[in-house]
Amino acid sequence: MNKDIQIKVEHVTRVEGHGNIVLDVKKGEIKKLQWQISEAPRFFEAMLRGRYYDELRTITSRICGICSIGHSLASLKATEDALNINISKQTAILRRLAINGENMQSHILHFGYLTLPDLFGIGSVFPLVGSKNNDTLLKIVKLHRLSNEMSDLICGRTTHPIRLQVGGFSAVPTKKQLLDLKEKLKEGLNLTKDVAKVTKDVVDNFPDFNRETEYIALTSNKEYAFYDGDIASTDTGVYKDYKNYDKITNEYFVPQSTALYAKHKRESYMVGALARFNLNSKQLNHVGKEIADLFNLKAVNYNPFMNNIAQLIEFAHNIEDSINWIDLLVENGLKDEKPKEVELKKGRGVGIVEVPRGMLIHDYKINDKGRCEKANCVIPTNQNHANIQKDMEKLVPEILEKPKKEIELNLEMLVRAYDPCISCSTHYLDIEFV
Amino acid sequence: MSKFKNIKVITKKELDKFVNSLIKNEKYDVIGVKEKGIRFAFGSIESADELRLDYDVTILPPKKYFLPQIEKLMDFNLEKNFDFKKQNNQKPMIIFGIHPYDIIALQQTDKLYLDQQVDDFYKKRRDSSIIVGVDIQKVSEKSFAASMNTHITDSGFDLLLTNIGDYYTVTIGTEKGEKLLNEYAKTKPATISEIKKIDEVRKKTAKKFTKVLKIKKEQWSNVLAANYNHPIWEKRSQKCMECSSCTMVCPTCYCYDVHDDVSLDLKKGERYRTWDGCLIRDFTKIGSGEVFRDDVEKRYRHRFYRKGNYLPERYGFVACVGCGRCGIACLPDIASPCDVINDLSHFERSDVTDKFFIKYSSSVKEKGIIHIPRSATIKRMEQLTKTEMFFEIELDNGEPLGHMPGQFVEVSIFGVGEAPISVSSGPNDSSSFELVVRKVGDVTGRLFKMKPGEKIGIRGPFGNGFDVKSFENKNILLSAGGLGIVPMRSLIEYVLEPNNRKNYKDITILYGAKEPSLILFPEEFKDWSKVDDVKCELTVDKCAEGDCWMGCTGLITTLYPKIKLDKYDSENTIAVIIGPPIVYNFIIKCLQTLGIPDKNIYVSLERRMKCGVGKCGHCQINGVYVCKEGPVFNYKDVKNLPEAFE
Amino acid sequence: MKPRVAFFDFSSCEGCQLQIADLEEEILDLIEIVDVVSFREVMKEHSDEYDIAIIEGSIMRPMDEHRLRKIRNKCKILIALGACATIGGINKIRNQWPVKNVIKEVYKDADIEDNKFFNVSPTKAVNEVVPVDYYIHGCPINRDEFKNVISSLALGKKPKIPNYPVCVECKKNENVCLFELGKFCLGPITRAGCGAICPTNGSACDGCRGILSKPDVECVMDLLERYDLTYEEMKNRCTIYNTGVFNPKDGMTLVRRSKR
Repeated sequence: MNKDIQIKVEHVTRVEGHGNIVLDVKKGEIKKLQWQISEAPRFFEAMLRGRYYDELRTITSRICGICSIGHSLASLKATEDALNINISKQTAILRRLAINGENMQSHILHFGYLTLPDLFGIGSVFPLVGSKNNDTLLKIVKLHRLSNEMSDLICGRTTHPIRLQVGGFSAVPTKKQLLDLKEKLKEGLNLTKDVAKVTKDVVDNFPDFNRETEYIALTSNKEYAFYDGDIASTDTGVYKDYKNYDKITNEYFVPQSTALYAKHKRESYMVGALARFNLNSKQLNHVGKEIADLFNLKAVNYNPFMNNIAQLIEFAHNIEDSINWIDLLVENGLKDEKPKEVELKKGRGVGIVEVPRGMLIHDYKINDKGRCEKANCVIPTNQNHANIQKDMEKLVPEILEKPKKEIELNLEMLVRAYDPCISCSTHYLDIEFV
Repeated sequence: MSKFKNIKVITKKELDKFVNSLIKNEKYDVIGVKEKGIRFAFGSIESADELRLDYDVTILPPKKYFLPQIEKLMDFNLEKNFDFKKQNNQKPMIIFGIHPYDIIALQQTDKLYLDQQVDDFYKKRRDSSIIVGVDIQKVSEKSFAASMNTHITDSGFDLLLTNIGDYYTVTIGTEKGEKLLNEYAKTKPATISEIKKIDEVRKKTAKKFTKVLKIKKEQWSNVLAANYNHPIWEKRSQKCMECSSCTMVCPTCYCYDVHDDVSLDLKKGERYRTWDGCLIRDFTKIGSGEVFRDDVEKRYRHRFYRKGNYLPERYGFVACVGCGRCGIACLPDIASPCDVINDLSHFERSDVTDKFFIKYSSSVKEKGIIHIPRSATIKRMEQLTKTEMFFEIELDNGEPLGHMPGQFVEVSIFGVGEAPISVSSGPNDSSSFELVVRKVGDVTGRLFKMKPGEKIGIRGPFGNGFDVKSFENKNILLSAGGLGIVPMRSLIEYVLEPNNRKNYKDITILYGAKEPSLILFPEEFKDWSKVDDVKCELTVDKCAEGDCWMGCTGLITTLYPKIKLDKYDSENTIAVIIGPPIVYNFIIKCLQTLGIPDKNIYVSLERRMKCGVGKCGHCQINGVYVCKEGPVFNYKDVKNLPEAFE
Repeated sequence: MKPRVAFFDFSSCEGCQLQIADLEEEILDLIEIVDVVSFREVMKEHSDEYDIAIIEGSIMRPMDEHRLRKIRNKCKILIALGACATIGGINKIRNQWPVKNVIKEVYKDADIEDNKFFNVSPTKAVNEVVPVDYYIHGCPINRDEFKNVISSLALGKKPKIPNYPVCVECKKNENVCLFELGKFCLGPITRAGCGAICPTNGSACDGCRGILSKPDVECVMDLLERYDLTYEEMKNRCTIYNTGVFNPKDGMTLVRRSKR
């Protein structure tokens, strides 16, 4: 096959942030294949320089609009780790509800608005309006709204949450509000099952592609880990030394990208819903397992397109999980607690959470005056960039026969499957402040 | 000694049962004072346990239940030509725990909202609510109610609770209160000694007030009237952050603004009103962008005068009840009237206290419910100049507008808003009237785009028009500057009407336009001069290059030397001036030179007219409502109003 | 013909566009009154012909300024969406340090000399590059305000953006004042329109909607003393979104408010 193909997708659509796909094939030989990140660097570490400990959450929340709750929580965990603050049980539960809400919101947004159009063969969700799939669209919209209502209630606001503070919450919901939410969540569970059924009909439109790679995520004995857990890898098992996370996430710079790449034991690894599923599928609750079975998804699955299905599974799991937590909160009675008092001291803290796209790490060094001297953030999407590049390198030869438009679409779908959050990922480096 | 004979006692336990049974009943919305963080606030209660009758002061006064922060007035449907539905729901309320000063504040608000032009939204809430007051137990450190004698009250409540130690006494204020008590509570008649205790408790509480006024509240008007230009206003207002927190938390502040909100699909919307504050800079801003009370010093001072001088002169009570909320809310701590009056107390007092207010009783009745526009159709439109459009409007119910010359209407367009427009035609029996509109903002902009046959809403007519009866048998000298010819035309048409012409002697009409292309009604102007003993003079400020203009050039003031009046004539001449603010002072000088006494001069002043009925507060010139005492004023009444001709 | 609307994003977290995506079913209402011809985050289609351009994000590089100017020339109305676009947002925090130093520290010896992606200049708000017709403030924006602006424009009337401070809305919500709780809140000098959402949730206002007026020096010194707050605390709060209010290098150089 002696084709000449040139593909340049600038600013891939239906993806958060700006990234380009470049493919140059001459006489059937791949001359250039790059996943480029062109997002303007925003220099977040410059913004954290010298800031007081109670501002770090406010600023890092703005790293990303979609995972602002995740960044806030990682930031708070790191700060509390550095200052030796222990949060109450109620706070821990409310934070789990917050992270569930974000996971749900992000997954259904990605799956419903950004991925399903590909499966239905259309450019965006707008054509679904009035079509025979109008019903499904309405259900997705309802589920998205439910997710937002949940995080609005727990955090005061979904995007750039207000109530999440160092040591606790600045305000808590009332019992009535939680019970009302629970009713809506129960209805949401049924809607999710409907959406899953409709997806089953079109899921084969995903390419059947496999590439063995390493999967890294948080893991825990007590639950399907999001808020708390230890770093785990499908290659090397559980790693408890969380303060030295850089032994796992080795970040390095590549010229085609303003974002960093990462690698552990292999050339690349993957984080995100599929990684979590591959490591923690046994911790799924009823509905999660039900939907996994519907799609016959089993650990360990090496098809990156299945990340989309893993998101749907997690969505269902999050709803059921939230219902359980609400029951516990109501049973114990909600206290109008204020955030814990803070005693300034020098310290280094690391906070790790699972956000929708994967493992997120905030690392702060705080001085005795309460100011941040050193900051580092490891972003999930960063950790995936190398894997995207490697996946492309395997996928392209497999589909080189296809027409140019189809190659382009498949490459875009591959990028979308990772649900990248490119604004977040635009590099984070270790930096020493004077 | 309490004047009430009908006083009961109730144990604390029985009081709780009383409250709980009312809550269970579900017929009422039971509201009471609850804890809110480190402060207190009125809110719906689900059990008597939440009630904190021993509070010192709430963040917001109970006015929020009668004049809510945001209150929907009507829903409108933009898909039909003129379709709206008035908001009607109001569940009956029982409010527990209102302190005497707040009860008094509500009575004061009644005087404003339940006057000739009743605000029926407010009325409905007042009528359907039951007030259970409570005597003050804990005193807020910023409150000076005892000095104002508002720490106790003997009216304005249905029931009043007093904590006399082991029990509460329940003073019955109304039949409504008595009925409620008998139906839901177990009480015993109070003994003489228990009744005596009420007074003791009140006297004891009065001593707890640490903040004290140095002068009697009846003296506020005098002190303020004498110190309008005192340096204290500038000094204190320098710290003002213009946040208007003082007006938001004040029980006697009730200015509001009205907005239209439209749904995203543009098919429907709602007209609602929300609290506004005179400390906000845009409070007096009109469509053209002019702000009538711009300096923060003037806004800061205005609030104290409204409470301490203007409203007292108008209604006979000091519109401050000493609750101290403004003192708590004001971050720079400059808001408390107690501090200001105390500072001024050793300066001079004036005996003339009503110089910022016009004792004028307006007998205008708004036709229809004050907030609800009547449907009207545009019959004819004509573009008069590049910025002015003529409209002939007919009320859909076929009735005449019934206006007097000089009055205005509020033109209402659902989804856009309302704008005050002077009526430009004389009063007559026909069902149509005329408006001339200059395009300056949203409503006027939209009017320009409308077509004959389309519908608008009309509220009014509002305002004090020309007292044409008092003009009879006198000469009339009319001076119109620029757009002033528009309202002037309503007067001109009236006096020139064949039936009316004989009632007046010589008539002179002076009209000064900016340039020839901006002259309004040029043909009619010629017709007017053809009537007996009517002299018309027209001038333009300047003539643009290439314009063909054969008439006078020069400012309107150049026309006055042409008028010859001897002393007898000038005393018997009425002069009317309507024009942009800048011309008034000049023309008045010309008229005074002609020997016309001030009491014969009438002016029409413009401010931001919104409600049209003297309630929303935006149109105030010192203590005067332009929409009620104006827009037509006798010059002698307004010449000393500091804000009138600034 | 319905006005054609195109969304553009520069350097931001895209949280403001997310608020629009969060309109859920109301997006259907939106597309009934305007034609969304470009919204990269949710749709593949894109058009270069539009009447209204909505810009999210700050301007960080000369290549971004160039792109923005092209957009301004194409559109009739330009709306700045969100704090990054209206006032520079948190992206302006890094303006405290010279750009060269920041780049060297972050990328150290990496060879990025001629790489246009890294050619960074001090952060600018949109109106520092091109004229802006309307501002939708906030970090993130208030969805209701967005709806209000769009429906007002569709109705041909000027959008009403509050010109008074957050305190008005905070008091209407009957919140306990955060100063009374020992926090320094920027509410008194910050533009309202957010419903005082942060104070209502127990968190002091950070001024993300822009400052209305610089406060009087004496007044602020007074406040700090009366509410037992420190200059540090005030400086912290003011330098998240509004580093222009205080110049940290010169200490507190507040400008006495001039008569407007």
